[in-house]
This record gives sequence, C-alpha cells and structure tokens, in this order.
Amino acid sequence: MLEKITGILKASGVYAWEVSDVKKQGWEFYFIRHALDQHRAKNVEHINVKVYQLTDDGQSLGFASAELAPTATDAEAEKLVNDLAYRATLVKNRPYALNVPAGEMPGTGAPSDLAAISGDFIRTMAELRETESEDVNSYEIFVSDVTRRLVTSTGIDETERYPSSMIEVVVNARRDGHEIEVYRSYKSGTCDAQALKRDLERAMQYGRDRLRAVPTPLTGQFDVLFSGSDACQIYRFFVARMDAQMVFRKISPWAIGEAICEDFQGDRVTIAALRELDNSPANHGFDPEGALIRDTVLLEDGVAKHFLGSRMFAGYLGLTDAFLPSNIAVSGGTHSEEELRAGQYLEVVEFSDFHIAPMTGDIFGEIRLGFWHDGDKCIPVSGGSLSGSMDDCIGSMRMSRSQTQYDSMRIPSLTRLKGVTVTGAEK
Amino acid sequence: MKAAFSPYLLEVRPALRELIRLLRRDYDYVSVLASDTAGLSVCISQRAKSVSGQTIAVERGVVVRVYKNGQYAEYAFNDFDPRDPAAKARELRGALEAQLALLKAAGVKPYETPVLPDEPQTLFVEKEAGTLPEDADVQAVVEKLGALSDRGMSLNENALDCMINAESTHVCKMFLTEKRDLCQSYVYSVGAVLMILNREGNTQVAYDSVSGLCGTELFDRIGDKLEAVAALGADLLGAGRIEPGEYEIITSPEVSGLIAHEAFGHGVEMDMFVKNRALGADYLGQRVGSELCTMHEGALCAEDVSAYAFDDEGTLAGDVTEIDRGILKTGVCDALSALRLGVRPTGNGKRENFEHKAYARMTHTMFDSGEDSLEDMIASVRDGFLLEGIESGMEDPKHWGIQCIVKLGREIKDGKLTGRTVAPIIMTGYVPELLGSISMASPHRESFGSGYCGKGHKELVKVADGGPYLKMKARLG
Repeated sequence: MLEKITGILKASGVYAWEVSDVKKQGWEFYFIRHALDQHRAKNVEHINVKVYQLTDDGQSLGFASAELAPTATDAEAEKLVNDLAYRATLVKNRPYALNVPAGEMPGTGAPSDLAAISGDFIRTMAELRETESEDVNSYEIFVSDVTRRLVTSTGIDETERYPSSMIEVVVNARRDGHEIEVYRSYKSGTCDAQALKRDLERAMQYGRDRLRAVPTPLTGQFDVLFSGSDACQIYRFFVARMDAQMVFRKISPWAIGEAICEDFQGDRVTIAALRELDNSPANHGFDPEGALIRDTVLLEDGVAKHFLGSRMFAGYLGLTDAFLPSNIAVSGGTHSEEELRAGQYLEVVEFSDFHIAPMTGDIFGEIRLGFWHDGDKCIPVSGGSLSGSMDDCIGSMRMSRSQTQYDSMRIPSLTRLKGVTVTGAEK
Repeated sequence: MKAAFSPYLLEVRPALRELIRLLRRDYDYVSVLASDTAGLSVCISQRAKSVSGQTIAVERGVVVRVYKNGQYAEYAFNDFDPRDPAAKARELRGALEAQLALLKAAGVKPYETPVLPDEPQTLFVEKEAGTLPEDADVQAVVEKLGALSDRGMSLNENALDCMINAESTHVCKMFLTEKRDLCQSYVYSVGAVLMILNREGNTQVAYDSVSGLCGTELFDRIGDKLEAVAALGADLLGAGRIEPGEYEIITSPEVSGLIAHEAFGHGVEMDMFVKNRALGADYLGQRVGSELCTMHEGALCAEDVSAYAFDDEGTLAGDVTEIDRGILKTGVCDALSALRLGVRPTGNGKRENFEHKAYARMTHTMFDSGEDSLEDMIASVRDGFLLEGIESGMEDPKHWGIQCIVKLGREIKDGKLTGRTVAPIIMTGYVPELLGSISMASPHRESFGSGYCGKGHKELVKVADGGPYLKMKARLG
C-alpha cells in the first residue's frame, strides 16, 4: 500500500506530501489477581497521508491529512489524495520550510521478541512479594514490536523499529476490613524487572500507610515535596513553555537568552531533550515530521536556550534545527535529599490526578496519600487538595542532585515547591 | 437523511461470516466486530489552520473474539483480504496459540468464565443525520470557522487567539456471530470555542462547546457560544483566588455532569465489581445521595455523542437508572463482566477502537432534573459559589473520593451574586456526602459531549454527561 500511495502522490502534482506508515504487532495480557482474564494479539498498520499546497503567489502554505486504510482500493486511494489536494488549498497558513533529509539518522532497529518480553513481565509479576494484607488486584501487560517509516516528497525515507511496552498494575492493602488500592502504570522499551518490583513494593507500602492516614489537617500555604512520578508534571510545564507553538502564540513569555524568573531564590533548572534514555519507550531518531532528534539543551541554569516544536511553529520562529522532543532529562538540583527533607513540609506521594495546566500554570491535585513532616514527626495524611500557580513557584523551587527516571523522563528524585495552597480534609 | 451504512463492511460481510465458520471448528464462540468510520476535523485560529479526515474514532479494522476452555481471547487486524478468510483464520490461530504456549510455560491459570450466549438476532440501523462528514462542503466549513474566529477576537480586547474546532464522525459498525448480524450507522458532531486571553501576564483559557447526534449542521451552532466564551474570559482574567474551605455551591449543568461522571459513572462500571475495585458493589440498594439525586446512564439517555444502537460486544443499547431518589440501584456492565457477575449486560461494552479491549464504559451519564428555579437556588445560598465550566475530573471508585477541576466560581452572599469571581477551583470530597447534600435541582437539563473519558489513564472513548443546576455542599480549594 505504501508504494501505491506514494506513486499516486508523486503523480498528483501537489506541492509536497508526507506518508507515515506505522506497523505494530502487539501482545496483551489481562489479569485479575494472577488469573488470566483474557489475552489479545494485534497485527495492524496505520498509514497517514499529509498533503501540502502552496498558493501561486507563495504567500500561503496549507495542509490536509487523513488515514488511509491498508485495505483501501486504488479508487479509494486516488480519492483520498484528490480530497487532500483540494482541502489543503483551503487552509491558508504562513509558509514555512518542510524538513529535508538530515543525513545523520540512526540505523533501523531489530525486531522485538514479543514472547520473551511478555514472559519477562508475566514472571516478574508472579514473583512479586505479596502478603496476606498486601497483594496484586489486577494488571494489564502490553508489548509491541513497532516499525515506523516516514517517506516525504522532500527526500526523507527513514525507518526505525523498536519495542514498546506498558504495564498497568493495581495493588491492594487491607486492614480490619478496610481495603486501599494504589494504581501504577509504567511505559518502557522492555521489562525492567528490578525497577518494576521495587516500585510496586513501594506502592504496597503506600497502601499500608494510607490505611493509617488521617484526613489532611492543614489549610493554608505550605512547602510541598514531590518524591514520585507526579513531579514529571512539573517539568512538563517547563517543556511546554519552551514549545515553539506556545511561544509563537504568545502564551509562553519566555525568550531565548533570558532567565525564566526575575529572582531565583532556589535552584535554576536545566532541561535537555535526549535522543536516547535507558529503556525509554521514546528512543526515536526522528520526530513524526522527519526532523532529526538531537541531544539539545532547552533551559540551562534557568535561562532559555532552545525552543523546540513542530516544523510549522518552529519555522515561524525562524528555528532551523527544531524537532518534537521525546525523551527529557532534568538537572540543576543543588541539594542533597536530606536537605530537602528538612523542616516542615507536606510530601505528597499519591494524587488522584496531579495536573499543571501548561497555558495558565495552574496547579491542581487531590491528595490520596501524603506525609506531613514536622521535625521528627511524620504523619500520613489523605484527602483535600493542592492548588497554586507554577509561575509563582519557579523562583523558589528546589531540586535534589539525585535523579530518577520515569518512562521517558529523567528528573530530580525530589522536588520541593514553596507556598503551595493546601486545602485540608479535616472536618 | 439516513446515514448510509458502509459499503465496505457490506462487501466484506460474507468473507467475515466465512472466517467465523472456519474458526468455529476450533473455538466454542466466535464474534467479529468490524468498523469503518469516517470523519472530518477542522481547526481554525488566528495563527494556524488545519483540516483532517481524522478524529479519534476514525478507523477501519476488525477484532475477532474467540472462546475455548473457559478462556476468552481476541485478535485485531486491519488487513483483511476477503478473498482468503482461511489465511486470516490460520494467522489468528497461530498468534493466539503462541500466546497460550507462553502462558502455559509460565504456569498461568485462566479466570474461567462461561461462554457467551448466541441467540439469533438481526438489526440494521441507519440513524438520521443532516450532512455526513464525508459529504461536507469543507470550503464552507473553513470559511465559517474563520469568520467565527475573527468575530471572537473582536469580542474581547485581551484575546490572544480564538480557536474554533469542529469535528464530525460517521460511525459504521457491524457485529457478527454464527447467529447474529447487527449493523449500525450514526453520526455525531462536536464544536468548540477556545479563547486564549492575556492581561498583564495573566493567561487564561475560556472554553465552551456544542455536541449532538447529528451531522456537520451542528457547526452552525458554534457561533452561539462566542459571546459567552468572551464573557467567561473576561471573568477569568478578573478572578481572584478562593479562600479554601467548605461552601454551599450551585453547579451549572456542565459541572453537574462532571460530578455525575466522576462520582457514579466510573464508580459503577461493573468490570470494577469483578475485580473488587469499586465500593459501589457493596452499596447496591443503599442510600448514596439525597432524595433529589436520580441518575441515568445509557446510550439511549440522550441524543449525544454515544447514542449507538448496540455496543462493541453486540449488546443492544440501554438506559439504566443507576441512582433512584438517592438509592444506588445498579451499575453499567459489559458482556463478560455480566457473565461473571450473573447479571444482564447493559450495553456499555466499549472499545477505544477495534484494536483495544472492551471494558464497561460510560455513554451518557445524566442527573435528573428537579423543580427549583435557578433564581430560588441562588437566593437560598448564604455563603457560597455558582460553579461554571470544567477543566478535568478524576474518579476514585474504591474509596469514593472525587476530584473536579472547575473553571470559575461566582460568589454568592446572602442570596445574591456579588459579581466577584474566583478561579480556578479544585472541588474534592466524599461522594456520598457530596450527593447526599443535594438540596435543590433546576428543571433545566443539558448534556455535554465534547470530552473524552479514560479508564485509569488510557482507553479514551467519547462520552457525554450533564444534568440540571444542582445545589449542594462541597470542599473547594
């Protein structure tokens, strides 16, 4: 089908085109406790076609896109290209340069062994240490062998093949007839058995802690410590503010060469986009538009260095080496974990859904489990919420030197925000 | 006009029937869900424009469900060659047997489940729609949305951009077993206005939407939302921060819908009962809300984005009364969970797309209306807020916590709106306490279908929810 559609596109006379062809073979296993609920396999291909049209005066570049089914007939493929060629003329965007071959692409990866990777996950879950009061409720395992190819009219023809895995786990802890559940999901290339076991055993510990938690007694502004994967949301806010689209739309006020905060009282964040991160599910050589992914520093010591993003908005900002980042690494912390764990603070380890709105910087999260630390006291708390503004926290944010990787992000193990509003749950 | 059923699905139907016949030699139950869904998505703003044939539901593919030895399995593909169903049968057997070999080697036991019934049934439904997305005059749509974006910009001097989104999806699905043959075709559409505003470094996003079981004619209603979005934007820019605490609140129909969705939408998805992940299983027949709290769920509850005729497991659509005057009556159930629980499925087995597993999912989740006017509700509040607009929500079926992020609160003091606004607001609480505090409900009721719903943090499907204005008590931060 790929040859058929590229042949039609070449003959169509459109200004430019791109075809993305993603083939995925997947194995899935669904468990209720450790009994198999069902197993699933898939063998699918998704072909996405994008057509560009430049107006005669060169003042507008439009595009239109659609998915072409692998079972499409010749007539359906012809019609799709004709429709896209027409629709692209209706869209009047400022022109920008399309990506061309970069010449430094990594080689194609090897096929993934679905049975071996799936087996690793299944065995790891079976070996998990469970007790009478803490155990696994259910889990879902997804393992894929993905082949991704991008062909464009500008000469890009790149292919990469990689494993992609995901496991979602629910664990329970119970005491005196009361049961708690803790939810986890992990994305990776293959199965990292040690990390999975370590984190799930910690999740069971959190379940135990929540069973003895008291309603969050605090209301007011407090220091909040993030010691889990929810901290990724904090750093995604920084990455979003460095996105060319956010800058071009004037939503992000940040400018290259300027500090992102007028008065740093805490640590100055450094953030880089990386092509490779250990066992990441997002180790890609090129982005969805064919741009080469390079190790690139976005923010350095709190100063904006490089904006990244889609070709369209990067082009509008005059960027020639931008791409859509996949892996992110954060550094810049100057503190030991002991220093960040000093004094009064609320450590929140489980939210129902911690969220930072990228446009407004608003912080939200319902507290499912936290620990109120006050000197030697450590009280598990539950209920209530956090709120605030990330813009107000940037200048006083403190980070640990130690780092932890979550999926496709490597971030400081501890992040401490100052002056976050806590709404307690105590009557 | 009728939304015509997919010619492609009709063409491959005989070959899919042959695939079922071949597989029945090896399996005790075989079903096929085949989809061929088309769409149109147009997004116009001052700074970027796009047209796509892709919406989240656009797909063409097949998923086969088989059953043997107490175990269900599925195989999904989108390269079906109707000239050679035997090859696909061999491919399916090969893939599933390789998985079984791995499972056997790992010593995994099945969660044994009875076989699904297969009673004879035929259905061919083509629902009404004005203009199908594949037939839309795209030029007219682009021009219309462009004019709306321009008008939106003129309505608020602080607007950075005014994005107008319009999506329409023509769903065609066919469910086949040895004895069943169900076909459906329907169209749903969604339109939205999203205004980004900035004043003195304060960035805000105002949003409103329209949705319905109809074609692209819905896009004519997007403009009705412009003034309200511009006004909301002005209110957001002028809003202060709320003093955290417990308040009397009046929820707008959109916020009522979010509460319905998060409280007893997810909380009564009965696949969670099978896993003992929902507290609701222990509270059937018990009070979970006030006398004014009645909640319905089902594809037949509203003419909105999930108004299908049958679900993704071939169960006919329903309308379930989940809560009747405060008493929890039942949940919503997919076919396999129904077998495991010994109940009837409710027509809520949904998939993100043909590649994904079916789970018990929401369709339209609605509070019933009441008899109190909004004016009387406001007059009854001594110290509280009228809550409008939603950002997001999160369920907690195991512990009945709830998190709702609300865009804006309008202060009410001594029965009057003061004109002061606060934003954003995070509403949290314990579901039975929240629903138990419902003391007034308006006759006005609306559904909202612009959003998507996930299960955990994945499996996005279209849903709608809504209700009337409700008065209750909640903790706001």
